[in-house]
Amino acid sequence: MDLSVDIIKRGGQRQSERFMREKLHASIVAACLSVRAPEGQAEPIAHAVCDSVIAWLQQHPEVTSSDIRIVATKHLRIHHPEAAYLYEQHRITI
Amino acid sequence: MGKQENKKMDITSSLAIISLAALIHASFQLSVSVLTLLSGHSIGAKHSKVKLLRLTTSFVFGAGVMTILLLSFISLLLINIFGGDIPQIIWAAGCGLLFGMALAVWLFYYRHASGTTIWIPRAMADYLNRRTKLTKHSAESFALGLSSVIGEILFIIAPLFITALVLIQLPPMMQLLGIGIYSVISLISLIIVWLLIGIGYNLGKIQKWRESNKHFLQFSAGSGLLILAFFVYVTEIIGNSVGYK
Repeated sequence: MDLSVDIIKRGGQRQSERFMREKLHASIVAACLSVRAPEGQAEPIAHAVCDSVIAWLQQHPEVTSSDIRIVATKHLRIHHPEAAYLYEQHRITI
Repeated sequence: MGKQENKKMDITSSLAIISLAALIHASFQLSVSVLTLLSGHSIGAKHSKVKLLRLTTSFVFGAGVMTILLLSFISLLLINIFGGDIPQIIWAAGCGLLFGMALAVWLFYYRHASGTTIWIPRAMADYLNRRTKLTKHSAESFALGLSSVIGEILFIIAPLFITALVLIQLPPMMQLLGIGIYSVISLISLIIVWLLIGIGYNLGKIQKWRESNKHFLQFSAGSGLLILAFFVYVTEIIGNSVGYK
């Protein structure tokens, strides 16, 4: 499901794009798998986090990709703190 | 001892300098950061364990090859300029470089933010980030290993320079041994992370350890550079002045 929400990319240098649930879902699953969570656990967590982020997006028609990361991290922390840590660290590792 | 022999560095202290310089090189973290990200992307993309190992092994191999190439290139450059007889001013410049770099590492190595972001040009960091995400094949991973060493050249240039100065004064066989010792020791941190990933260790724990100990690593690298500067100054400049060598 794609919401009509514009995501402004990091630094505003790249064109904004439409929110894509699949993209967020894949990144949450990847974070869970990276901390060796089983796929059977990663998928429902990603669904729950995506639902929470979409609920938040319905009140915010224009957000940055970093806002999405912050909100997704906050919700992921409830389900899997270790995956949330790695998800949060992704942009600040190098 | 003859005059010519006096000019040659004592092999033991030469290898000690090379080992310390390599250990300092190993404490710099860009390649480890890239390897951690690369593994994260690979595990997240549900690649098989064999593919993960192939990618990480190629990465470590690439970082090793670039270290050997850089060290050999700097040594060749110095041997073409000075031959085997290094002027004291060059040793003094090397010590100055180590001292300056020690202060720079203490003050600036990590950015003042959470995470493990370091003071390299942001364009380089973004490029490495993008490339890490796109890396799917061993050859790309190998190239990423090469690039990650280049990305940290600002910091590793000081230990590489001093190692090259020491190497060109050694007999040919010892030069090869010196290059081998430097390469292996400088890759130690990468090899440890590679092993941990290989046995299925949690990436989150690796990154958490790196973040919690980043100031310790920063302090160690800076202190190591300072100790190396002092050691080289004593053996090469004071030692020559008082006729010890």
